Amino acid sequence: MIRNKYLVIGCGRLGSSIASEASAAGENVIIIDDDPASFDRLDDSFSGYQITADATDVSALEEAYIKTANEIVIATGNDNVNLFLAHLAFEIYQIPKIFVRFDDPRYGSLVAGMNIKAIYPFELSLNKIKAMMQQGDKGK
Amino acid sequence: MRIVIANGGKTASFIIEMFKSKENQLIVINSSRAQAQNLMKTEHISVYVGSPFRQFVLEEAGVKNADVFISLCEADTDNYASCILAKKIFGVKKCICVVNNPENVDLYRKLGIDSVISSTYLLAQTIRSESSVESLIKTLSLDNDKINVIEAVVLSKYLIANKKLMDIDFPKFASIAAIYRGFQIMIPNGQSVLKPKDTLMVVTAPENQKKVLSFIQQERPKK
Repeated sequence: MIRNKYLVIGCGRLGSSIASEASAAGENVIIIDDDPASFDRLDDSFSGYQITADATDVSALEEAYIKTANEIVIATGNDNVNLFLAHLAFEIYQIPKIFVRFDDPRYGSLVAGMNIKAIYPFELSLNKIKAMMQQGDKGK
Repeated sequence: MRIVIANGGKTASFIIEMFKSKENQLIVINSSRAQAQNLMKTEHISVYVGSPFRQFVLEEAGVKNADVFISLCEADTDNYASCILAKKIFGVKKCICVVNNPENVDLYRKLGIDSVISSTYLLAQTIRSESSVESLIKTLSLDNDKINVIEAVVLSKYLIANKKLMDIDFPKFASIAAIYRGFQIMIPNGQSVLKPKDTLMVVTAPENQKKVLSFIQQERPKK
């Protein structure tokens, strides 16, 4: 079985940007969202597949070739959905590269010890703002 | 036992009623203020208001090392997250949740939730076991349909009637767990005799159910 698919779950601002960039870089991208209007966010040059489905429905994921995914980016707006999908990708489908976004940084402890990379926009912005503030202090 | 009941309206109140006793310590959590107030009013019990999949809510409610965690949220993934959190971070011994999508039953169990209940799944199971056997036989599915307990009445015309168990070549894939005789329940051994009107409780795998029944119901050849 060749793993060559690049799955993006959730076509929000983050998901759509990642999908557009991966598609431009020549990846075999499949993006899933339950709202067809959300696909408007994708670049005009996006050449991957768009699937309108509920990502918590496993049969929909299998139709989206989750079994042959090499990489999955999970970026829906719901932390619980993201947590479930990350565990599913790791435990059931053993996807080699898993990236997940959590709004609440405390979800990190639930994916600890698994081959799952989590990002927390909240922490990123907090650190960035702190860094900028410190730089501002130095400038005085 | 320390039992945590997270979310749920009528279901929660039914479960609270069932477990309310001196031996059990109930911890009730509800994310809806209206539902929480309703539960407090009807069940006279304190309710923590907050989402059960938030770490600080479970912390404040004091669910650490509870015996049972029952999650009754509307969304399947909310139940999943609550149970995983309770289990992994708070060391709850047994987590139970309800799901809407029957496909999630096996999946959530594989992912580490002890017990997953779907009413659709149960309904389908019941219909399947009821339709495969005659009306006089009751069946009970255990552990999500991996094992069935069937109830069969011995009639005098059956081959096995008035015989000792040791003399019956009972199928290897089934076992008689108990015999109801009148108001008595017996645990049988090789010396037990099966009498007409006895009700046998037979334990077997669902796929062997029909074979076992046809064995029990073999009739004596007419003289």
